[in-house]
Amino acid sequence: MPILGVPIIENLYPTTMDMWPVEAKEFNRVWPFYENLKQGRFTTTKCKDCNHVAYPPRVICPKCYSENLEYIDLPKKAKVIVCSAEEKGVPLGFQAPLIHAVIDLGVDPVRRFLSRIINCPAGTLKPGDEVQFVVFEIPAIPVEKGKAGTITAERVFFAFEPVKK
Amino acid sequence: MPRKPRLAGGVKGHNIKGDYLCSPSVRHYVPGKPRPVAGELQFHHDSIRRNLKEDGMARHACIIGGGQNKWGIREAHLVDLFQEAAKACLDDIPGLKPKDIDGLIVATSYAGRCSFQVNTAPVIAERLGLTPTSICVRVDVLCAGGSTGIILAKALVESGNADIVMVAGGEKLYTPQKWEVFYSELASVDHDWDGVHGMGLPPPFFALTATEHFMHYGTKKEQLAAVSVANYNYATTNPLAQMQKGLTLEEAMNAPVVVPPLTLYDCCPITDGAAACIVTTEEIAKQYTDRPLVYLRGTAQVSLNSVSANFPGAHLADWKHTRIAAEKAYKRAKVSASDIKVAQTHDCFSISEVIEVEELGFCKKGEGGDFCGSKQIEIGGKVPVNTDGGLLAVGHPFGATGIRQGIEIMKQLQGRARHQVKNADMALTHNLSGANAEHTIIVYGREPVK
Repeated sequence: MPILGVPIIENLYPTTMDMWPVEAKEFNRVWPFYENLKQGRFTTTKCKDCNHVAYPPRVICPKCYSENLEYIDLPKKAKVIVCSAEEKGVPLGFQAPLIHAVIDLGVDPVRRFLSRIINCPAGTLKPGDEVQFVVFEIPAIPVEKGKAGTITAERVFFAFEPVKK
Repeated sequence: MPRKPRLAGGVKGHNIKGDYLCSPSVRHYVPGKPRPVAGELQFHHDSIRRNLKEDGMARHACIIGGGQNKWGIREAHLVDLFQEAAKACLDDIPGLKPKDIDGLIVATSYAGRCSFQVNTAPVIAERLGLTPTSICVRVDVLCAGGSTGIILAKALVESGNADIVMVAGGEKLYTPQKWEVFYSELASVDHDWDGVHGMGLPPPFFALTATEHFMHYGTKKEQLAAVSVANYNYATTNPLAQMQKGLTLEEAMNAPVVVPPLTLYDCCPITDGAAACIVTTEEIAKQYTDRPLVYLRGTAQVSLNSVSANFPGAHLADWKHTRIAAEKAYKRAKVSASDIKVAQTHDCFSISEVIEVEELGFCKKGEGGDFCGSKQIEIGGKVPVNTDGGLLAVGHPFGATGIRQGIEIMKQLQGRARHQVKNADMALTHNLSGANAEHTIIVYGREPVK
């Protein structure tokens, strides 16, 4: 279906309107983070030279500028420190109430980690509650690969959800 | 080689050697002769620089005038807004003509997103009839773009790399369909790591901040409401403000919920608008205005994080970066918090102002709720804050906000503000930007730093 007012954009992908990351290897050097997500792993980069762990993952160590990095697993369970529920002005693509929480994963640098909380009925989340890592599919995008034509790049992303008691 | 400029006298009160130094409005126009061309204009500026350097005098930057257009939901294009603001600015400085301005700094963040326009500075320069010969650049620091432009203008004129700089900021945020306004806000934060969590529009982040301030310091919703009431009531006399109807405590307490504990009047609106001001040296300033000079004494801009997960404080209500920025700006301005008579702080949310009065040193940490709730931010209080209505009531077109703040502080120090603080001689502006990712402070005073 063409875009209203811009009928030339029919069946074309506009990166500038994508709320999700362009995760494909061809466009992103932290693609292993997203590949790990597909395996259910929550990871980030650790410097093999100075041992500094950074979040989000990156291609150089922000402490010593080494490129000698490895992906390590982060905890997948956390405790809620403080939470909120947005009722008005929720952006397209999200539903009200849009719930956020600062959560403690128990290790640096994610002792105060801000995440969306999904699969959570309104008004049920409170400080001290346990939440767990959850991965979900997001829309795939077309990526042009020269003579090989256009491939479909599958994508996933993550949030946290309450642990069922 | 340009023609040698005509001798036209020195600067009153200053022993500056050289062949030419006076008001550009005088020096550029010799009756009966054609106006000088751009190359000659540059020659004049170079001679000013050389003379000052030879005399070893420090150049002190001043803000000499400025103006904004009507802020709100505007039936106008981005470049229309900039034209209105530039006119308001030059109307405030009789005698200053577009041709006298040799530098332009444009502060806008959403031109690329909402107006499909990048490389904005030459576009704006052309629309404003400016032909900059020293600097023509755009800065993007979202909510702090205007203040950043002023800081850069100060550096450029004090170093002799520019003489008369217009700092113009503006945003056209409302698009033909409103969904895009909210959706585009996903670009205001780190898109791939916070925006993806729906953290674009900032109310959730500041709701969490308010909740933590309540938890750690016992702050109450009534104290947040007191900030909204004060700022909305300051704006009732401001015809350019987005919200001019005033506000009662009862209305503030019973407003629709946005993100608990924040309700409608705790949050600044989304705003189309623009503002512009002129920064120049004190020598040139004296040629254009008889008003008291307002000096840019000290500045600081601090960024310790971008992704919300890396927030630098012990909790979200602990703004370490604001404290560092204040310490640096006060030191450079050779003042302390107790010297500040009036302030413009970044009240994007009521809770922000509560925390800012703490971190800027106007009260102790944790006492911001009491400070704001006991009228210390109002005229007659310890430090009147956001005396034109602030972001909450005047509105918040990101790149324009720091300039609006600077204009209000200039007027306070010149004794011509709508809500005038008596004996105001030292003041500051403060911006935060992004997911509380950067803090920008400018200290203004009636005297230069010596």
